[in-house]
Amino acid sequence: MVQKVTADLLIIGMGAASMNCAIYAHDKNPNLDILIVTKAIAGKGGCSRMVQGGFNVVLNPKDSHEKHLMDTLKGGQYINDQDLALTLVEQATPTVKELETVSGCFFDRNPDGTIHQKPFAGQSFDRTVHKGDLTGIEIVSRMAEQVMKRRIRVLEEVRALELLLDASGQVVTGALLLDIRRGEFLVAEAAATMVGTGGGPTHYRFHAPGPEKTVDGLGMLYRAGALMKDMEMLQFHPTGLIVPGSVVAGALLEEGLRGAGAHLFNGKGERYMLQYAPDVAERATRDVVSRSSYLEMMQGRACPEGGVHIDASHLGADFVLRNFPGMAERCRQFHYDLARARVPVSPSAHFFMGGAVIDTGCRASLEKLFVAGEDAGGVHGANRLGGNGICDSCVYGRQAGKSVGAFLTGSELARKETRRGQVEELVDRLTRPLVRDKGVNPFEVRRELQELNWNKVGVARNAEDLDAAATEIERLAEAVDALRVTGGRPYNMMFAVALDLRSMIDVSRMVAASARQRDETRGAHFRTDFPKQRDDYGLFNILLRRGEDGLPRMEKTAVAFKHKSVEACQSYKK
Amino acid sequence: MSIRTVRIFRYDPEKGGSGHFDAFSLQIENETTTTILDVLLRLQREQDPSLAFRYACRVNMCGSCGMVINGVEGLACKTNVSQLPPGKEITIRPLNHFPVVKDLVVDMEAFFKKFEETLPFFEPKGADAEPAQIRPDSRERLDIGLSTECIACGCCVSSCTMCRHHEGYAGPAALNRAFTLLADSRDALFEPRLERALASCYSCRTEFNCTEVCPKNISGTRAIKYIQRLALKHARSEPKPAPSPREHEAAPPTAARHAPPATAQPAPGACGQAAPEACRHAASAVDRRTFLRQVGVGVIGLGTALVLGGIATGVAVGPTLAKSQKQWAPLGKLSEIPKGEITTLMLRYELKTGPYVQPVAAPVLVSRLGESLVCFKSSCTHLGCIVRWDALSGRFLCACHGGTFDRDGNVVAGPPPRPLDRYAFRLEGDQLFVEVG
Repeated sequence: MVQKVTADLLIIGMGAASMNCAIYAHDKNPNLDILIVTKAIAGKGGCSRMVQGGFNVVLNPKDSHEKHLMDTLKGGQYINDQDLALTLVEQATPTVKELETVSGCFFDRNPDGTIHQKPFAGQSFDRTVHKGDLTGIEIVSRMAEQVMKRRIRVLEEVRALELLLDASGQVVTGALLLDIRRGEFLVAEAAATMVGTGGGPTHYRFHAPGPEKTVDGLGMLYRAGALMKDMEMLQFHPTGLIVPGSVVAGALLEEGLRGAGAHLFNGKGERYMLQYAPDVAERATRDVVSRSSYLEMMQGRACPEGGVHIDASHLGADFVLRNFPGMAERCRQFHYDLARARVPVSPSAHFFMGGAVIDTGCRASLEKLFVAGEDAGGVHGANRLGGNGICDSCVYGRQAGKSVGAFLTGSELARKETRRGQVEELVDRLTRPLVRDKGVNPFEVRRELQELNWNKVGVARNAEDLDAAATEIERLAEAVDALRVTGGRPYNMMFAVALDLRSMIDVSRMVAASARQRDETRGAHFRTDFPKQRDDYGLFNILLRRGEDGLPRMEKTAVAFKHKSVEACQSYKK
Repeated sequence: MSIRTVRIFRYDPEKGGSGHFDAFSLQIENETTTTILDVLLRLQREQDPSLAFRYACRVNMCGSCGMVINGVEGLACKTNVSQLPPGKEITIRPLNHFPVVKDLVVDMEAFFKKFEETLPFFEPKGADAEPAQIRPDSRERLDIGLSTECIACGCCVSSCTMCRHHEGYAGPAALNRAFTLLADSRDALFEPRLERALASCYSCRTEFNCTEVCPKNISGTRAIKYIQRLALKHARSEPKPAPSPREHEAAPPTAARHAPPATAQPAPGACGQAAPEACRHAASAVDRRTFLRQVGVGVIGLGTALVLGGIATGVAVGPTLAKSQKQWAPLGKLSEIPKGEITTLMLRYELKTGPYVQPVAAPVLVSRLGESLVCFKSSCTHLGCIVRWDALSGRFLCACHGGTFDRDGNVVAGPPPRPLDRYAFRLEGDQLFVEVG
């Protein structure tokens, strides 16, 4: 018998989106019984904490929401959901202010005491609010304290494995959980469920998020039958640190370095960005810089360490050490001197622009389901601007909290019954790796999947590779069905990898299948066989849902240019 | 390239016992690019998949992988093999003072509970719409500096020799957060925070261990000394310190507060038998209080008087020769007890024991937080000191030995052996009676 916990609101994940949701739902209705489950220690997991650069927001009277919106649409190559993008930029302003006035964050200041905003790539105004170069610590630590203050229940080191549905398959009733420390399954049932696990494309060789982030939310949403969109749009950050053989490989050097004027050099010592983007060079958006770096590497102009070099030394060692102390320290640990020398970097899998389809109140396509942050799609279109990520998590977490707080009244406070047998079937299936006498090693399958995605569904894609990848992914999916895990139940990290792989396989399926559907290059999606952006063809979103056989069923829908016309977007100059 | 022997603490909760060390041998290509986290991940992948440790971000931002490496606390992801003595064996064990879950994984719950005691959360002074305009070179921001970048990894607590011996000691991480909030002019909880933090600060013996091991280069010691200086400065600037209104609300025993000095001394009987520990603490608390009063920090030690009063009351009600008679004593009117709060009411009745009649006054903690009414006895289940409801932390606190109970009376910290006792009660119309005797 699986132990059961109940709540009014179940929140999966504990990054900025989830905590904002909890705080604003609580403040809307303090009587709500809110339960947060996180696979890490409270407040320590998730990507929000790893945010370095900062938070894009309009605070200066010389800046405007209009400009921030246009930057976001231009950066997203026009296929953003314009309602979501507009809400993002408009609500960012009160959200960041409340981070200071309600949660007690203190961002870096100008000499006169007003909030400092720094330049980031792809922006028409210096609007990135930050705390040094490790902004996420400030935001997530302060918010975790506010969750504590409100006495919101948190189950830590308890991970969600699957969303539970009622008999109709259309209502989310809660989630199946695993208590990692005890190795026991749990069922959580709630009148509403918010998924805010964050993405984390760690199914690639180089990845920016920490390895404990394993696309759980995206996998769960897909398997539950939620409508997803734009899954081919996976951002590679251009400056992931190269540390051969270390798990640190792929960890980022923040965008602000390029914003401040750092240069990129190929193995021959050429500033190649001057060729790919003569106007803005290194301050081009992430998609452009990553693609350019990757092409240099592929054409044999990699640096000896295998990537390209970032050079901030000409900005002055003092400047670098003062403004990027965290980055300098990260480099120094591996004997790189960011302030005075070139440091090897590579594009690194970073962020999903795609995800569950939501409205501005974060309601997803299934009933009683809310999604916010990186698990949701549409805000950023084909490419996300640096500084719009934590902005998205905080703004949409706040939106979700307000929306779910308003939703949970009257008859909606009733919990629906989970389909009989669903929990038992899942527990039986998920436990199998622990009882098999022989089987496949999960660590090896993960490594194979990471290499496969990196080589065939990575920065540069083509039809042939994508077809091959689709076949290979299914082969690995079979391997995942035959995994064997040794050791006992409590804190079994090998079992964790086996569970991670389920979602990694599903997300690999979505990315590869979606990428095959878009015969053009747009934003983060670069096709070597279709190297041009085709605005006469590509102004669509790819909607996707899981079919009976477990594979994605896709459909293209035209982008709705609700607030800004395509011409306005195309002709916009920063 | 090198080959290193790595000794790792192992504990399997399914087998129990007190744990042991396993030795592994690992070939390392390049020690300068290999972190201890890399070592652990490789050993798990290549040699023993059952090895358990905790990590998340792998770039010094989350504070999940604190452990003791060659005897010194540090983050596994921030310690490179090349930083350790070359060629020698590497020893890795879990953080001190934390219960071990498995191998290197520790239970951090108690650590975060201690955090809560110093009210480690921002409380805005008013409903400001705009962020405060505070210059980066202002005194407060220079004082706070980068101390808000604590990632709560627990290394400082593990390194501190005092955390283990003083259950009530909040420890360097919690006090560092308290310091950053005390220094923050935007925060509204200055006094209650100072009161709580200062009580802990005197457990610090200025060993600087926390400062030495902090992976973020934050000095817990500096924070603690800052709070102590702040208390003196605060006391000087407020010549007649008065208890904050909140204390009036939260502190229960009017009887104790107004108790004549004679009864506020530890009763000899109590010292001799039941509570020598309590008395020693109480006595030293008196000294401290006297000291504090001399320097003008009377407000801070207010709790002490309550404690002494509490013990005296406990003794007065406590040991009896014959069984006293059960009776229903009136406590108050239900309509006057606010909903959604915990209210302290004075219970007054005459205790009849055989032929003797003795007047009794005892605070009762009446909870109307949930659906139902609960009347908690205010005696700590440890040694009978009076517990008080602390609305800010949402806890019942006993000042004697740090006993802490949640809003349902369950023990969350400290020595109490069982939840708070409850009175049986009944309602006659609006009048609430509790059963005593």
